[in-house]
Parts: sequence; structure tokens; C-alpha cells
Amino acid sequence: MLSKKPPLLQSFLSLVSRRVSHLAQQQYDVIVVGGGHAGTEAAAAAARVGAETLLVTQKINTVGALSCNPSLGGVGKGHLVKEVDALDGLCGRAGDWAGIHFSILNRSKGPAVWGPRAQLDRQRYREFIQSELLSTPGLTVLEGSVEELLVTEPNPEEPGRHRVTGIRLANGSHPISASSVVLTTGTFLSGSLFMGQTTSPGGRIGDAPSSAGLSHTLRERLGLRIGRLRTGTPPRIVKDSVDLSLADLHPPDSHPTPFSFLNTRTRCKPEEQLPCYLTRTNAGVERVVRESLHLNHHIQEDIKGPRYCPSIESRVLRFPGRRHQVWLEPEGVTSDLLYPQGLSMTMPPDIQLRLIREIPAMHRAEIHTPGYGVQYDFVCPTQLSPALQVKSTQGLFLAGQINGTTGYEEAAAQGLWAGVNAARWARAMPPVALSRTESYIGVLIDDLVSRGVTEPYRMFTSRAEFRTYLRPDNADLRLTLKGFEEVGCVSSLRYQEAVRVRDSLQDALAALQALAQSSSKWRKKLPDIRMSENKCTILSGVELLQHNVSFEMLASAFPECLSPYIEFSQRLNIEAVYNLHCDKQKKEMERIQKEENMSLPQDIDYFSLPVSLSQEVREILDRVRPSTLGSAARLHGITPAAVVNLLGYVVHTGQRERIRHRNQPDQKEEKEEEHSARNASLPQ
Amino acid sequence: MLPSVCRGVWRAAVHTLRTSRGAPPCRLLSTCDGVPAGLADADTIFALSSGHGRCGVAVVRVSGPSSATALRRMAGLRCSLPPPRAALLRSITDPQGKEVLDRGLVIWFPAPHSFTGEDSVEFHIHGGTAVITAVLQALGSVPGMRPADAGEFTRRAFQAGKLGLTEVEGLGDLIHAETEAQRRQALRQMSGELGHLYQDWSHKLKRCLAHVEAFIDFSEDELIEDGVLNQVDRSVCNLQAEMERHLKDERKGERLRSGVQVVIAGATNAGKSSLLNKLCQRPAAIVSPIAGTTRDVVETALDIGGFPVLLSDTAGLRDSPDLVEREGVRRALERVEQADLTLVVVDCAHVPADAQQAAAFLQGHLRSVLPTVKQRETAFPADRCLLVLNKTDLLPEDERRTLDEELRQVSGLPPVCLISCHTNEGLQDFLTLLHVRVKTLCGDPLSGAPTLTQARHRAHLQQCVAALAQYKHYRNIDLALAAEGVRLALTSLGRITGRVGAEEILDIIFKDFCIGK
Repeated sequence: MLSKKPPLLQSFLSLVSRRVSHLAQQQYDVIVVGGGHAGTEAAAAAARVGAETLLVTQKINTVGALSCNPSLGGVGKGHLVKEVDALDGLCGRAGDWAGIHFSILNRSKGPAVWGPRAQLDRQRYREFIQSELLSTPGLTVLEGSVEELLVTEPNPEEPGRHRVTGIRLANGSHPISASSVVLTTGTFLSGSLFMGQTTSPGGRIGDAPSSAGLSHTLRERLGLRIGRLRTGTPPRIVKDSVDLSLADLHPPDSHPTPFSFLNTRTRCKPEEQLPCYLTRTNAGVERVVRESLHLNHHIQEDIKGPRYCPSIESRVLRFPGRRHQVWLEPEGVTSDLLYPQGLSMTMPPDIQLRLIREIPAMHRAEIHTPGYGVQYDFVCPTQLSPALQVKSTQGLFLAGQINGTTGYEEAAAQGLWAGVNAARWARAMPPVALSRTESYIGVLIDDLVSRGVTEPYRMFTSRAEFRTYLRPDNADLRLTLKGFEEVGCVSSLRYQEAVRVRDSLQDALAALQALAQSSSKWRKKLPDIRMSENKCTILSGVELLQHNVSFEMLASAFPECLSPYIEFSQRLNIEAVYNLHCDKQKKEMERIQKEENMSLPQDIDYFSLPVSLSQEVREILDRVRPSTLGSAARLHGITPAAVVNLLGYVVHTGQRERIRHRNQPDQKEEKEEEHSARNASLPQ
Repeated sequence: MLPSVCRGVWRAAVHTLRTSRGAPPCRLLSTCDGVPAGLADADTIFALSSGHGRCGVAVVRVSGPSSATALRRMAGLRCSLPPPRAALLRSITDPQGKEVLDRGLVIWFPAPHSFTGEDSVEFHIHGGTAVITAVLQALGSVPGMRPADAGEFTRRAFQAGKLGLTEVEGLGDLIHAETEAQRRQALRQMSGELGHLYQDWSHKLKRCLAHVEAFIDFSEDELIEDGVLNQVDRSVCNLQAEMERHLKDERKGERLRSGVQVVIAGATNAGKSSLLNKLCQRPAAIVSPIAGTTRDVVETALDIGGFPVLLSDTAGLRDSPDLVEREGVRRALERVEQADLTLVVVDCAHVPADAQQAAAFLQGHLRSVLPTVKQRETAFPADRCLLVLNKTDLLPEDERRTLDEELRQVSGLPPVCLISCHTNEGLQDFLTLLHVRVKTLCGDPLSGAPTLTQARHRAHLQQCVAALAQYKHYRNIDLALAAEGVRLALTSLGRITGRVGAEEILDIIFKDFCIGK
């Protein structure tokens, strides 16, 4: 994958414009609006599933742009990158191509919470994403601003009050129709930028604001509940103006670990990697923040910002008297800028300069672009199905910040899944959902659609109940196989590799299990290790791995049966320890999966449902409209009794459905259905 | 201590950690030694299936993969199991202390021919509280066994396809009844000393988990001092020791009050204390014509028709500027919330003469007395409440009769008794009704089941202690697996004190640490 060079940006642009100029086609399966992390993954995924796809973006040049921090991954977020990659998404491979500083966070804390992370070269990242999109069959990129979402009457055979039919562009051209539309507008939906006391419309500095038409359609025509969130970005600092000798040097890992399961190395050579630097705020910074509060509109507004990615203003106000960390991160191989992570701020530019110069390493620093705040609309995500489709509107999918999340990885994960389902909808295939028992993407989407957000949502490993199973190392086993066999978003090349890995790991574990002998025999073979004195205990190779003996050691002692698996040493070490714990969680996972497989129809009138439910429970169910029994059970205020009564209802309606099928001609009659016919004839 | 062969960075990191902490020897243990016991995934449940209260024979049901083990150990069967579905008379012994607990029948139902479709065992034992408690606690000590959750037997039966649709619909009501009974009982216990202890543990565990999670999710980017984990280590150690101590002397410790909780409530001067005095046939409470005489809860233990009853008289409900009286009213409402049965006393002179108006007045009155009814907007729990219209001696005979007849025809009210504590009129009818209610409540499998709750708490606390051992085991090897131990511990304790969600942990994290980048 890495051997493929992205074509020069110039030729890419000309190719696109050629495509655009020949845009005879006005009918697509899927239209994706927005070219950020969510939009690019959505478009690529939709095309992989086989949909004729159009990506509409305001500026082709900014497709794949890293609007904020020049980095990818981390703890929890790295898990998402691995999962997106396992489903054949773009961001993992793009990270391997563009990374200039790789490190595994949490190295000392156990493989379930390792956080693969990389600093990125902004330009390389953009180039990779753009060239990938260009070489994806069935995908067209178009420059334009969407003025309006075209909506019509719903298909009566499916739930929903509206149906999306396409878009109209701002330049007044004729409409472009599509079966599905994926909106990934990021911070552009009614976005406004804040710096000091000035406010201007827009979603990102330097880019035109998006049209008000889209926001209007969502709010007025479709009647969606909309909320408002805020975020911010730090000023970019001129690298030469910073005295880096006054900051702590943080080197990357000496051996970069690629994100993608398809890559064995990164584009950047180990020795070519760039370091990061760490410095801290001080009392001077705090003083500047306090003195300039009256000049800071953004911070005074009562809009929810993220608790975990706060501006320097809110950090100082909430935790005064502390020295907060500021990371100085490279922006690219050739870039002469530094990104001061931790210094997101919205005060007037002259005060921003005063503030950063309080920090010794930056006492003569120059600001290239000042920091600013953004406020934007988001659609309350409880109005979405687990397929990320707006429940009331057939064919309309949302992904990324429009759903109230923050972060590239969260956006990419949703984009991929929305793209998959948009394509499936267009091709009349049933929607697919990921369970929180099998992936962080499932946790993310389930949290969003069943609980909603009150602040920008970011992934943490503490959100995953089955953290010991949802590890970065096994994302391919969890998702690639399913992605090919059930979802259709994975190439056969990747699938074959995942099958090879799965089979090898199984064979290796079987070989280890077969290596069972008494501890005295083990001691003879491996004199270096200490064992308990009990001689007659029989131990298998797997059990040795569970007790700090490495696979490499065993392989060197038993080369004939273990050496074929040496490339999987690390994975085997992890599997052996964690399998023990995952087995314990199996039952709970099975229970959740069972409940998630029982879907609740979206058009139920909970107030007239003929089952015993309290008024309070009915109100909650009516408000949230959970898609499955599983998500209903997790809602706050839903009693176990209510779940069982709903279960009874689901079983009942399921049987009635079967009767309906039976009564249609050309259907085979079965005994079981006769039985249910009796039950269904009972009065409701 | 570790071999020279390199084992990846993670192992190297473990190595550093271990050597820096005084290098415990790399012991090779068998799997069951390495992983703390009590966390096995085999899920076998048990519960008292017959009713509580006085009965000759009690049936304890066991279901799940360890049923056979439980049967062998408790019935002293070495290898062979009894023939399926045949009663066998055996001595039932405590597998740990080996003492004989009772002599009774055991029946073995191998899967799939059992109520739940799983391997099941029934113990038919003598119905005394001591015997039942002993057998339940002995079962709890068998590895892999835990007390059943509400409706769990039925749920398993449903999952095994042993139940039809009608029965499933009944299951919802059953679970509702059981959880309601448990909720009331939990409320009662949680306001006691034991409740405070559990809440305190839960609070400490939450903080431990939040701090470990913060260290996992944020320490790479943020300033989270290493000292955080050392604090957690200390807390976990202390908690584990405290819980172990508690488990050891629990039997001698706080004994839960048994008996049906009956609470007398109503407006001031309705004659609540008079009713209490009538029922216990002695002046337990001071009565006077002055409104607000009773200010605190007055408790009396009674025996009604052979069933233990704890009768509480409460302060009259009214808005009062008096601080002491206000506190009394608060306590009164709290008691009503925890009650199994509430006697709402009304001065019948306040009831309007017209039937419709009278019904509306009484419904309004009930709403003000029963806070749960107000909140949940559900129908009046007819089996949890009796309406007592007192002071009938103050009404003329014909008015009294009309009122009685009219109220009988009104629907939507709990049973109504017209009495006079002054002349004893109607008191006998009232006592008969009260007796029936108390009897029903005692027959309710959970309302007065301190033994079962004790066994349940015990099992959950044991799991909690075992999970904390997992934290210690993995603390220096793998923090993710160590954190899993604290998560498990909190889940086990949460089965007593209430579930703890991820959001709650995140709230603590953001309160205690400045996280941001």
C-alpha cells in the first residue's frame, strides 16, 4: 500500500475538474456532503460497497485537511483508527503515509489500552486521502456548495415521515438526485467563528460559510432537534521563533508501528521522524487570561464546550494555580510551524501573543495564525438509528461533528459506517449495525443514538464495557471478516490476509496447547525460568505464556512446531493472557447481542402499546425511540419489567409477521407457523 | 530473573516495573492459582422457591452447570448422582463446616428435563428460618454459585424455550412485583447502618476506578501524578480488608428486622395514635385533641394473627412552621415510602357528604400522603394501602350508613374501613381485613426475606473481594486487567447499591483532574 505514490496534487485537481466538467450524470446512489474525515471515509466506504457515489465539497483543495491538531490516534482514538482500518477505511493507511512521529501510548499499561498515535505531515495526509478517493472506482468528487436538501414523501413500506431524493447546489444548477445523502458538515452547520470580541459566520478560518439552506431544511422541513456546541483551536506558532532548548524533548518510538493491518512499515523512516516538545504554562499565562476575560466573547457564552479538550481559558479558570502542559508538535516535514497543543484560545490576537510569550520557550515567539473558537449546530443524535440514518427521513445519514462528536477518529468511524449504510440503503439492502460488544465504533454509535450528547463526545477506553476484548491488536479479527462476509466494505485482498492471520493464530494456539508437559520437563527445556516446585503439575504452552514466558522463548526451545508462527509472537503473547478474561465476559456479551438482535419497530405508538408499561417508561421510549431491545434496556429509567414486557411484544409481533408471510401465496407452510397462527389469533 | 530472550517492549516494561519494585520471583503457577477464585464464569443460581412465613416444607431451587456439584457436596454423594427426577432422603450438610444442617429430600433434574432446561436440583427442607438461612448460605459457599436475580429462573426457562407467550407476559408482572418488593426492602436497609457502610464502599470504589481510568485514558497527555495509583493501591487494600472483616462477623452483626412494616399516616388529628393504641391494646402513643401531638415515629412490634408486624405511628402531615414538626413530617413520609402496608387515617367529618365529591377528596388525600403514587401517576396500589375513616361516632347514624354504602360503589379507591376508636365500632371488621393483608404480605416470596437478602449480599461481597484481588494480582503486570478487577468489584457491589455507569466515572475524572489538550 505504501509503495503507491500519490499523484501530484496538480494532476489530481485537473483530473477531478475533467470529471466534473463531464458531469453528464445527474443521478447517483449516494451523495456525501463534506470532505473532512467523516465525508471522505463515507464516500470511500459507499463506493467500496458498490454504490455510485458523489462527494460534494466546498473546496477540493481542503479534502482530507487536518483542521485542528496534526496528529492521529491516541488512547481510545487509536482503537478507532485500527477499527476503521480493519473495515478497509482510509485513515489508518493515510496515517502510515503521513506520519512523522510514531509512538504507542500507554506502553506500560497492558495491550488492551495501548494507544497507537502519530504526528502527521498535513500536506502528505491530504495528498494521500485525495489520491485514494481519486483512484476509488465509482466515486466522483465535485466542488460546490449545497444549497438545499431535496425531500419528498416517504416510501410507505419503510418507516419514516420523509424521504430524501437528492441535493441542489448553490450556483442554481439543476438538482442532483440520489437514493441516499450523507451529511458530514462538521462545524459548518450555522457555524460562527469567535476571536476576541469579533464574531463572523463560518466553520473554519479561511473558508466560506456554508449556506443557511441546509440548516433550515433540517430544522424546519424535517423538524429535527438541533443543539449547539463549541470548540476551539490554538494559534500556530512560527517554529524558528521558539527557543526549543527551553522545552523538554520527546522523541518518537525508535521503531514506528504502523496503524494499518496491511502495512509492515511506515513511509517515514525511523531516523527521519521529528520530535515533539513539552513545556508548561505559568502564573503569567494565568494572569493574561484573567485580565482579558472581558475581551473574550466565546468564553462568556453559555454553550457547551468539551470538558476534556478545554481552551486554556477554561483550564486556568477551573484549575487555577497549576502548571498546565503544552505540547509543541511539528506540523510537517517541510512546515515551518509548530502546533501548541493545550493552548486553544479565543482572545484577541494581540493578547494571544502576549499570552504565549509568557512561556519561556516562546518568549520571542511569533504567531502565524491566531487561535479562534467555533460554535456550530449539531443534530441531537438520539434521532438517528444505529445505521446513522435519521429515523424520520429515509435515506438521510449523518456523521461526524454534526452528530455532536469531536475528533478526527470519531468522525472517520461514523463516516465509514454511515457510508456503508447509505450505500446499502441505495442498493435496497437491509441496514447493518455494529454491537458495543464487538467494537469501539459500536460503543461510539450506541452511546450517541441511545444516550445523546450534552458536550462534544470523545472516545475513551473507559466507555467500553468489554475493553479486554476490544483491543487494538485484534481489530482485524473482530471486524475484517465480518466487514467482508456480512457488510461488503472490505476488499478480498484484505479479507484473505485476515483469514490467514486468524488461521495461523488458531493453529499456533493449538500447537501451544498441545505442548503440555510437567513442570520439571519445562525446567529442563527452559533453564532460565523459575517455576514453582510442584513437579507433577502439567502445564501447556498457553499457560506458560500466561505467566510471563514469551512466545519467542518457547519457539526457540521448540522450533519444529512453533517457528512457523514467529511473525505473530506479540499477538500470541497477548491472546494467551487475554483469552482467559474474554471467556469470562462471553456470557454477558452474548446476552447483549441477543437483545440487540431484537429490533423495535420505529413507528410504534408507545402510548397505545397494549402491554403493561408505566406512563414514565412510555414517555422515555417515545422520546428516545430505541432501535433495539438492547438499547432500550440501557436507557436510564427503563425497568427490568418494562424490558421483559417489550420482549413479549417483540416476540408477539415477530410471530404475526411470519403469519403475514404465510398467508401470501407461494409460501411454504411450516408446522411452527401454524403454531404461531394459533397464538396470533388471540385477541390483542 | 526474566530470561535473556527479548519479549517485546511490553514485557520489557513489565520487567522494569517488576525490578523497580523489589522483583517478586517469576512464579509459575497453575491457572487456578494464578487467577483469583470466585470469578469463574459458570453461572449457577439458587433461591428459596417456596413462600416465606410459616410453612412446613421449604423448597430451595438450584439451576445451572454447577447444580450437580452442589448436590454432591450438600447431600454427601461421592460420585454417582441420584436417578433423575426421583426423591431421595439425605442429610444435608454444609460443604465447608461438614455439619449437618437438616435432613430432607433432594431431587435431581438433569438438563433438558427441568423447569429451566438446565441441570437443576431441588432441596426440600424444613421450613424454619434458621434451616433455610443455613442452607442458602451453604449453597453460596459452593464455587460458581450465586443467588438468583429477580425472575431469573423464569427468564432462563423462557430462554430455553420452556415457556409459552402467556407465561412470558406474566413474567413481566412477576419481575415487577419482585423488584418492587426488593426496592422497598433495599430502601429500608439502605437507610440503616449497613446501607451507609455499603454506600461508603461504593463511593470509595468509584473513586478508585475513576482514578485508574484517568491514569489509563489520560496520563500520557496530561499531568496525572504517579501518586494517584499508589493512593488507589492503598484504598483497594483497605477496602478488601474491611470487606473481609465484615464477611467474617456478619452473622453476629446487624440482624435485619423481620416483620411486615405497617405505617399509620394521615393528616393531623385524624386519630392515628388512637388507632395505634387500639391495635396494641395499650397506650404506646400519647393522644390528645391538639393537632400535631405526635412528632416522631412511634414503633411497636405486634403479632397480628400469628404474623410479626412492626407498626409505626407517624406525625400528622401538614405544613408547619415548627422545625421539629417539619422533621417529623419528613420522617413520616420516609416511612410511608418504605412501608409494606400503609393505613391512611382520615377524620370522617372532613369527608364531603356527596359520593362523587367524597371520592375525589379521598383520592386527593391519598396523593398527598403516598408520595410514590404522586410521582409515578400509577393506580393506587390497592394491596399496599387501607383507607381508615375514623371518628364515625361523630356522624349521625344515617349519614354514616350512606357514606359507607356510597364509598363501596366508588371505584379507584383502596378498601375503606369506617371505624371509631372511641366506641370500637367497625374495629373488628378492620382487624379482619388487616389480618388478611398481613397474611398475603407474608406469603409474598420476598417481602419479608431477610435471609435471602443476606445470602445475596454475602455472595456479592465475596465476588467484590475476589475482584479486588484481581486488581492486586495484575497491578504491576497489566493495568488494563487490574482496572478490570475494580470494574468487576464495582459491578458486584452495584448489585447491592445500584448500578454505576461509565458517565458517572467520567464525571469523577473530570472533577478530580484537569484533562485537556
